[in-house]
Amino acid sequence: MRLTLRAQIVLVALVLAVIPLVGYVHVKQMERLLRDGQEQALLATARAIATALHDRPQLLDLRAGQPASGEMELVLQSLARAESRIWIVDRQGRLLALAGDLKKRADEPPRDALAAMVHPVAMLVLERPTEDFDDSLPEAEIAGSAVVASALAGVPARRWRRSPDSRAVILSASHPVWTGDEVMAAVVAEETTNATRSAYNRAMEQVVGVTLVAFLAGALALLAFASRLSGRLARLRDEAEAAIDSQGRVRHLIAGSTARDEIGDLSRSFSTVLGRLAEYNRYLEAMGGRLSHELRTPIAVVRSSLENLRLQPLPADAGVYLGRANDGLRRLDTILTRMSEATRLEAVVRSQPRERFDAREVVRGCTYAYPQRRFDLDVPPEAVWLRGAPDLYAQMLDKLVANAVDFATGDEPIRVRLEARSGEGILTVSNRGPRLPESMAGKLFDSMVSVRAGGASGEPHLGLGLYIARLIAEFHGGAVQALDREDGSGVVMRVRCPLAD
Amino acid sequence: MARTVAIVEDDAAIRANYADILKKHGYQVSTYADRKSAAAGFRTRLPDLALLDIGLADEPDGGFTLCRELRAMSAALPIIFLTARDSDFDLVSGLRMGADDYLTKDAGMPQLLARISALFRRADLLREPPASEEVLERGALRLDMKRFQATWREASVDLTLTEFWLVHSLARYPGHVKDRESLMRDAHIVVDDATITSHVKRIRRKFQAVDPKFAAIDAVYGLGYRWNA
Repeated sequence: MRLTLRAQIVLVALVLAVIPLVGYVHVKQMERLLRDGQEQALLATARAIATALHDRPQLLDLRAGQPASGEMELVLQSLARAESRIWIVDRQGRLLALAGDLKKRADEPPRDALAAMVHPVAMLVLERPTEDFDDSLPEAEIAGSAVVASALAGVPARRWRRSPDSRAVILSASHPVWTGDEVMAAVVAEETTNATRSAYNRAMEQVVGVTLVAFLAGALALLAFASRLSGRLARLRDEAEAAIDSQGRVRHLIAGSTARDEIGDLSRSFSTVLGRLAEYNRYLEAMGGRLSHELRTPIAVVRSSLENLRLQPLPADAGVYLGRANDGLRRLDTILTRMSEATRLEAVVRSQPRERFDAREVVRGCTYAYPQRRFDLDVPPEAVWLRGAPDLYAQMLDKLVANAVDFATGDEPIRVRLEARSGEGILTVSNRGPRLPESMAGKLFDSMVSVRAGGASGEPHLGLGLYIARLIAEFHGGAVQALDREDGSGVVMRVRCPLAD
Repeated sequence: MARTVAIVEDDAAIRANYADILKKHGYQVSTYADRKSAAAGFRTRLPDLALLDIGLADEPDGGFTLCRELRAMSAALPIIFLTARDSDFDLVSGLRMGADDYLTKDAGMPQLLARISALFRRADLLREPPASEEVLERGALRLDMKRFQATWREASVDLTLTEFWLVHSLARYPGHVKDRESLMRDAHIVVDDATITSHVKRIRRKFQAVDPKFAAIDAVYGLGYRWNA
């Protein structure tokens, strides 16, 4: 599966998402601690009040409907926390006293700029504490709640409950009032969790909100950077692919980038490598020309010497050796000719202008040079227009036909067929004979590659014919392929060139 | 009086071999190994014909320079270039060096001798007007067989000796297809098919420079070339 650089960077950036996550976990823990603290404080309050009322049963001796005694009231007020509500229940479950207020008006401390930005989003997500709730004390709570029952049984307890309209959460802590060994009453202190909720919300905003935003900004920055990197690399890749054609020849060079980083280095390396490759190719291409040039002089020496020799009076048997020397010279000539044909073609193909011509005329004439073989020509009735050079096309066809004639076995005629199909002019030359050797698969059309057993016809064989055919096919904007016949009885050479408009 | 042929060639073996053969055919030969000594020799005494190797000692185009100097000394002197490079054909033809023909070094002596004698014949004719003209006319083409000059629509076309012989071979029987072997025979060259093709292309270009609508040479694929009347 292909993973682009951008995707990889996004995956790496996800690791950084741990930071807001850690912040979230911390804030949650803080909330727990705060709540714990709040419960402890409430318990302490209840205990303090209960302690003040210890062993003073007369304070507790209240009748329903009668106001609390002065001392009781003082005790309650002095011990109550600002945000809590205190109530006292006797053994029978009757409410003896009630002080304090669950609601408070606390001002929110100001937020800093970043938190202020995150605030609106946070408000959508987090639970908002509200001071607008029903703070009445239901009868069921007084008489039957678990905290009361527990305290009346002698065990301090705490729990939380929702307000009757469920808009607030109320923490209650209870403590028994002892008189001697008996529990006379229970003190219950209550507070809403709104304060801790607010603190929690603010912490969430500040810690998590800000780190989340920072993480997203960081991830975006990384993504942008990754995009730029992958853009540069993609551009380099495209340049590199365009620089070399399908035969490995350098089409044009990459101008090395001037950037001073590793990608710039890579680009410059590419440029250097391509430059060297192009030089090496030029050297190789020129080698053929240089070789044929170098060969001419010694061939000229040998030839002119033999000619001088012929003009001398010679012993009778010298003629044999002269003959053999001349034969060898002729073979050298052939090699030279073939090599310079290839060299000259390479130059011609680079510089020759192209014209529009009908390929049928060329194909019709291809058999005249081989009267000793039978041919099966198939040419369409309508013109097949190609863009290139007709005499080069003829040269290519001649190479393919010569190749087919050399390899053909038996008497079956060689099939030459031209057709126009799907925007291409397709030329096929097919002969019965041995199949293509597997080991030479991609190399048949390279320069100086030959699959023949040496010395078959006495003519030196350089393996240039198919190379020339390939050069010319490419000159015409097309390509040549060698294939086995479908039934395996021989070989088909196929040239496909785009039709001229 | 025996005619003098000057050979300027840096390879000693070729120089000596050519000199020997030419002497056996009755010519007097003077040989030079580099441009400077050849130029000095020419200044002292002009030969009747010059064979110039293009790449001389340390000057890859020394032959061209020498040819220019020689032409400055004599406008009519026959000059034949010898060359080892195929690419020189186009170069020589295009630059109008003023040479009369060019051969690759490894061409055999028969080819060289045919040219030397043809050029000497022409040189003789230039000295004395001929008793009779020998002219081949085919439509707009006029070939002066003794002076080896071709004109198309009255305009002179600058052909080398080889090219002249090729045009003559084609135009002698218009409409008749000449294959490459007979073209080679008539032009006294032994080359590969592709070289014939480039010679014909060069000839076409020279005629087209004089008349852009020139289309008298037709390629008959697989067979050869034909002159259209």
